[in-house]
Amino acid sequence: MKSINDRSRNIGSFVSQLDDTIIICRCEEITKGEIRQAIHDGMFTVNEIRRYLRAGMGLCQGQTCGKLVKYLIARELGVIPDQLDPATSRSPMRPVEMKVLGNEEVTHV
Amino acid sequence: MKRYDLIVVGAGPAGLSAAIEAARCGMKVAVFDENAKPGGQLFKQIHKFFGSKEHQAKIRGYKIGETLLAEADEAGVEVFLNATVAGIYLDKEVLVQIGEAMTHFKADTIIISTGAAENMVTFDGWTLPGVIGAGAAQTMMNLHGIKPGQRVLMLGSGNVGLVVSFQLMQAGCEVVALVDAAPRIGGYGVHAAKIARCGVPFYLSHTITKADGTDCVTGVTIAEFDEHFAPIPGTQKHFDVDTICLAVGLSPMSQLLKMAGCTMVDDPKRGGQVPLVSENGETSIPGLFAAGDVSGIEEASSAMIGGRMSGLAAAAYLGFLSESDKEKRLADLEVALNSLHQGMFAPGSKGKTVAKTDEGIAVSQSLLKKGYLEDTDLERFVHRSNQTDKNSGIHPVIECTQNIPCNPCQDACTKGCIKVGKTITALPQIDDASSCTGCGMCIAACSGQAIFLVDEDYAPGFASITLPYEFLPLPQKGEQGTALSRSGQPLGIAEIIDVRNAKAFDHTPLVTIKVPAGQAMTARFYQPTTQAMEQ
Repeated sequence: MKSINDRSRNIGSFVSQLDDTIIICRCEEITKGEIRQAIHDGMFTVNEIRRYLRAGMGLCQGQTCGKLVKYLIARELGVIPDQLDPATSRSPMRPVEMKVLGNEEVTHV
Repeated sequence: MKRYDLIVVGAGPAGLSAAIEAARCGMKVAVFDENAKPGGQLFKQIHKFFGSKEHQAKIRGYKIGETLLAEADEAGVEVFLNATVAGIYLDKEVLVQIGEAMTHFKADTIIISTGAAENMVTFDGWTLPGVIGAGAAQTMMNLHGIKPGQRVLMLGSGNVGLVVSFQLMQAGCEVVALVDAAPRIGGYGVHAAKIARCGVPFYLSHTITKADGTDCVTGVTIAEFDEHFAPIPGTQKHFDVDTICLAVGLSPMSQLLKMAGCTMVDDPKRGGQVPLVSENGETSIPGLFAAGDVSGIEEASSAMIGGRMSGLAAAAYLGFLSESDKEKRLADLEVALNSLHQGMFAPGSKGKTVAKTDEGIAVSQSLLKKGYLEDTDLERFVHRSNQTDKNSGIHPVIECTQNIPCNPCQDACTKGCIKVGKTITALPQIDDASSCTGCGMCIAACSGQAIFLVDEDYAPGFASITLPYEFLPLPQKGEQGTALSRSGQPLGIAEIIDVRNAKAFDHTPLVTIKVPAGQAMTARFYQPTTQAMEQ
């Protein structure tokens, strides 16, 4: 396990900041304060933040906030952003309507 | 399931170049792009490109895009538009949304050239309508003919911020300031100088603290900050603007590569998550390549070379090109790529402070901090012995003071008056033995708009200055306006004595102004009287 993922590590208590009301994930309207609180709740990776808050799970799929969330986690944990694992990439890469996703041309070679 | 020899994802400069090379080797090639128009960012680039002849220097970006499309068509490349690649699976299977259906394709090689997305910064009010990416501003202006706003503040002084600021002014917007958190201007000095001489101030070590407005942006506050990134009290400045443009870097859109299982690295120098690639762009998965910004942020010229290299490597991988032919052709492309990777702005020297040019001349600190050359800098650069000793008769004055990869000025002068030499990052020199005819081809060929034709003896007590003027409306002969200095300060009355707009100038009209002889080396721009009255 990466040492930065060690949940027993003490990262101090949550201290509110003046700009905690700023929206970080525009698609899902998640604020900086919510993300910082989630980190103090034990969400130490980008993937966990996504699942816990839905930040980066909206229309743009984290294109806008991906780096911002990563930097917030890094700052709160006191590590360099490059050390954090990026979010998982999986299909569909872009939002696809269910009716389109179900409309799959199936042919066998 | 439809099969191809090569599937390219992304029809930008890298993807199209790759597809063209591969198709010319005899491969059956498909290119998918999620946009309605091909070309990636190329069709937004209305400025002339840097580089050398082989890099299509002095050609405007959209023209390069048109050439690439014609070449792709001729080579038999199938380009699918409005085709969004949703996933990439084992054995090079690709799932694409085309219209209302998901379709599977399979290829023996894949080249991912999906480019990059703009970074954002957060501040109080950053989600207000009117805060936009610089790329969005460019799309609105140059693709759709819509002015993004009336008064704009630009955050970011890299080449994107500088180029887009100039284009905003060309579109008729007022750029009130350029702001950057860094202590130095990040982009080319020549790009900064074009903006500074229009009178736009640069605020470095500054950042946005607040965007005002309830329904949309009505103003912005910036402040200088200290070494702990805390705003310094009393340094706040407020501007009434309706648009805030963000040009704060790009991040590679590398998710498809990660999904495919390529070994990825987090490299801040290349912009973030990028695949580990060989020099030809091959990833850790054989037959899967990455080209262009997706494998490291650079610019379109190197993306096109990188794309061609990947296309050739893919062709050789499947046996469409012999190993010896591949080696030979890749070697040529590597030389071309290396020449772009030289100089003060080479990818390896990002963030480094360069004190002297390759010629050993101390760089202009004013150019780095304020965006223009100080009169004291002229002694070192413009008046150096290999620039010119002349102070009579018409002659070029070249204000190109940084080692950037660019040399079209050398080929522009039919008299052989301008020399850059083999190293394209060298500063141009003027050969005094050759006589200048005042044709102006060098002015129009300079992508940085850094060449002026000066005649100190135009008339008793008066000098003439010919300068590039890419603004509308074009001034008329006989009209009087204001001469501006390099910093955009009004110097006095200037009379238009000539306006030339030859086809060979490629939309860079040349305007000649008459100013008092004392301003021959200080006046560098012209402001029409109507514009001065509006401000």
